[in-house]
Amino acid sequence: MKLPTFTANGDATADVLIVGSGVVGAMIADQLVSHGYSVLILEAGLRIERAEAVENWRNMPFENRIGSDFQGLYPQAPNAPAPLYFPKNNYIALSGPDGNSFQQGYLRTVGGTTWHWAASCWRHLPVDLKMKSTYGVGRDWPISYEDLEPYYCRAEEEMGVAGPSDPSMQSPSERSKPYPMDMVPWGYGDKRFAEVVNAHGYNSVPIPQGRSTRPWQGRPTCCGNNNCQPICPIGAMYNGIHHVLRAEMKGAKVLSEAVVYKVDTDLNNRVTAAYWYDASKKLHKATAKAFVFACNGIETPRLLLLTANAANPNGLANASDQVGRNMMDHSGFHCTFLANEPIWTGRGPAQSSCLVGPRDGAFRSEYSSNKMILNNTTRVGPATQQALKLGLVGQELDDEIRRRVAYGVDLSISLEPLPEARNRLTLSKTRKDPLGLACPDIHYDVGDYVRKGMIAAHKQLEHIGQLFGAVEFDITTSLNANNHVMGGVIMGSNPKESVVDGNCRAHDHANLWLPGGGAMPSASVVNSTLSMAALGLRAADDIGKMLAKD
Amino acid sequence: MAIEDVAGRPIQKLLQLTSVSLLVSALFYAICGRVHAQEQSPATAVINASGDAAKADIESGRYLAIAADCIACHTAPAGKPYAGGYAIKLSLGTIYATNITPSKIAGIGNYTEVQFARALREGVRIDGSHLYPAMPYTSYTMLTDSDVHKLYSYFMQAVAPVDEPANSLTKLPFPFNMRMSMLGWNAIFLDNKRFVPDASKSQKINRGEYLANGLAHCSTCHTPRNFLMGEKRGSALAGAPLGPWYAPNITSDNISGVGGWSDAELVQYLKTGHVEGKGQAGGAMAEAVTNSFQYLRDDDITAIVAYLRTLPPMRDSAQVKPAYSYGKAVSDESTLRGMNGPNEHNSLNNGAVLFSGYCASCHSASGSGSGSGSGQDYPSLFNNTATGSHNPANLVAAILYGVERKVGTKEILMPRFDAHSYVNPLTNLQIALIANYVLKQYGNPGELVTEVYVEQARKRGE
Repeated sequence: MKLPTFTANGDATADVLIVGSGVVGAMIADQLVSHGYSVLILEAGLRIERAEAVENWRNMPFENRIGSDFQGLYPQAPNAPAPLYFPKNNYIALSGPDGNSFQQGYLRTVGGTTWHWAASCWRHLPVDLKMKSTYGVGRDWPISYEDLEPYYCRAEEEMGVAGPSDPSMQSPSERSKPYPMDMVPWGYGDKRFAEVVNAHGYNSVPIPQGRSTRPWQGRPTCCGNNNCQPICPIGAMYNGIHHVLRAEMKGAKVLSEAVVYKVDTDLNNRVTAAYWYDASKKLHKATAKAFVFACNGIETPRLLLLTANAANPNGLANASDQVGRNMMDHSGFHCTFLANEPIWTGRGPAQSSCLVGPRDGAFRSEYSSNKMILNNTTRVGPATQQALKLGLVGQELDDEIRRRVAYGVDLSISLEPLPEARNRLTLSKTRKDPLGLACPDIHYDVGDYVRKGMIAAHKQLEHIGQLFGAVEFDITTSLNANNHVMGGVIMGSNPKESVVDGNCRAHDHANLWLPGGGAMPSASVVNSTLSMAALGLRAADDIGKMLAKD
Repeated sequence: MAIEDVAGRPIQKLLQLTSVSLLVSALFYAICGRVHAQEQSPATAVINASGDAAKADIESGRYLAIAADCIACHTAPAGKPYAGGYAIKLSLGTIYATNITPSKIAGIGNYTEVQFARALREGVRIDGSHLYPAMPYTSYTMLTDSDVHKLYSYFMQAVAPVDEPANSLTKLPFPFNMRMSMLGWNAIFLDNKRFVPDASKSQKINRGEYLANGLAHCSTCHTPRNFLMGEKRGSALAGAPLGPWYAPNITSDNISGVGGWSDAELVQYLKTGHVEGKGQAGGAMAEAVTNSFQYLRDDDITAIVAYLRTLPPMRDSAQVKPAYSYGKAVSDESTLRGMNGPNEHNSLNNGAVLFSGYCASCHSASGSGSGSGSGQDYPSLFNNTATGSHNPANLVAAILYGVERKVGTKEILMPRFDAHSYVNPLTNLQIALIANYVLKQYGNPGELVTEVYVEQARKRGE
């Protein structure tokens, strides 16, 4: 077991320094520490434990719970703020026509944002990696689906993904290995919904999920607490903390409340050291052979811009001027209605089935694809709100809540953005965090591609509503964020147009990797985490190769 | 020194065996405290024998091998059945179970039936060297010639030979490498007598005794041991510590034993590992259910139960009522909510909050578990032997190491909360707070778990 070494004043030396302890950073740490390298992880946020989040959620006011406040229950390190919305802390300033649709919820916490994800583990379609050559829009990846596929398999194994074994229910079905576990069993609502819509080509399929359908490596079976977001209370869902713990057992060292703010580069533009503030704002220095920034789609580009130095005046890894550009998320909206029959959603995990029929087609040369998740979070909260608004009391109120819980449907629709340079993260010139480091500003405009896709989706939803004889049919008018932040350190083969290569290695720095959502050159329409993890594992292999040569 | 063992035999000459007793002590936990369930089916190899009688012997042997749970120790995780290599890690070194497939190169293919019988019943290998009592030959010594023949037929003809030796060989440091020293220990603790039915008892009880004391080797875990780690003959099945766990008193006593359990409940327990309102199998007993008891014929299970009924009741005078009779449904949920804010970082400072955060999502805020008929398997925490016992070992061990069983296709897993936890590793203080809360709310309120106690339970499980 090779450990990082520390001097008396707390400076560190390791083979690998990883900034960020979420799913990507922790998985890379686990890989490299398993190969015998010393690994130090610097995490800006607090170290929490599961029951804190469980109890905080249970102690949350109704307004926060009904508003899906998944951020507020996670305590934050004083020096490392993350976005809050109840009320807004304005850590990120948003601008542009769709700035309000980019209100991302991500955690700066040991273990990262997968503490409060829903564990959807989708793969990109093979064609998603060839958007430019197939549909003439967006960008092609410098690697193919075949290059990525083995890493998808490894990521699924690492995260214990449960998915359908029937290829006709897989999206995509191009797989070299079966899912580690069979799919999460569908509840009545998933079955009934699929029965009705699949006759019309919407293709409702099981969502592959990082969640146990049988005991998995000491992880218990999901028992349907139904609050995957904001916290699985029994640990049946994969969280990044699992790889943090695994890596630590093998000798990786994780320092929490350690905020990196500066790096040194040498004459060859290799990164030689990173500097961090500890909780008491004391400065420390870490030297390493390989550096990884795994801080997700917002904090990674922010850190690259913050760490500009004389040799890299526009920010680290930014000779292309692409750092912070091409920001993407699956901007989405909701469609709710009361069906003409009970649907009984709310049994099992927060989401189990999804309509992927509109995920691909020739239309993608014109407008965005979409996916429609049948939200399986219990309808008791919204139904109660609605019933109270009707002014009901007593038994009538109870009956109405019951009716609305049984008949209510909520679809969560995601749209597919294109990487566009104008959608850009920059450093604020006025707002600073408690350490005096510039806060991020983000300009966002989903563009006509998404707007046209939204109109197409509206038509599909109206059709689906008719299939269920919907009443109180409502489609939200504003777009919401889905926390799938991509694009800010975009991958490509041409160093003039992109930030990292196919291994997530920075074009400008031979020993700096920027894996995760930021590297993804196309968003597809599915949740980004599995792709992020796969890219992380690919980066870990690349790092291992470099270290082996040393 | 004029020390005598319980059978009245002088043992002063055997004090040099203290080191051996230490080894044996460690082994008894190691063999019982295994924490992996076998996935392999022993029923895979092609049967080469001809003749109906020979086939019947092989099938009987297969059944006997399951009853004796040979596969548990003689198969490595993900290894080939009976090919050995399972590591029993002790502080003084590692013992590896051997390959007992009929391979002539790597297994027991060269054993004659007489040599096989000697290994099984006397702990002596083909080369004359002594086995360590990780192999429960002091129990198997009861086996009849007929059953040994059936086991031999099964292993020689129906187990697939694996020509690779177990991946590692046992090499213990001096003096534990002196296998000869087992001679002295055997002189005291090995009867070397076959089972003789007691004509005054029914055939069923005789069958039960043969199964319980021979093949199933219940006493290995459930009978307390003397200072040389021999089983105390006057206290058969009266309960004994087993690493961090406690193998409870299974004599017929109404309070300290299983006298208050119905026959049907004992049968259900052995077949499934769980009886709501009484208790559930964890640790080594969960493995015994997973690997062995669930496959036994109903008449054999009822025979074991019938035999247990005949054991002299052993009462612990400190106990006033059965462990399963303690507790009732009670919830602190309504008083907990709102006592802390929704953004706390250091609020997990008492048993009630820790229980709510880590236990209540499965066992429910009232401790009632998932209830029967729910399709889930979370036991009630009251009316539960683990929480009502006068010994909190199984409560603490369940929290530290979890509970794992597989019965049929159904897998039960309570996650562990030690350093290897997939849910969240808990500290000694946290586990003590949770255990004491559970004891006070749902179990035996007279028991107290300290941080030191939890630490010791961690060490015993290493």
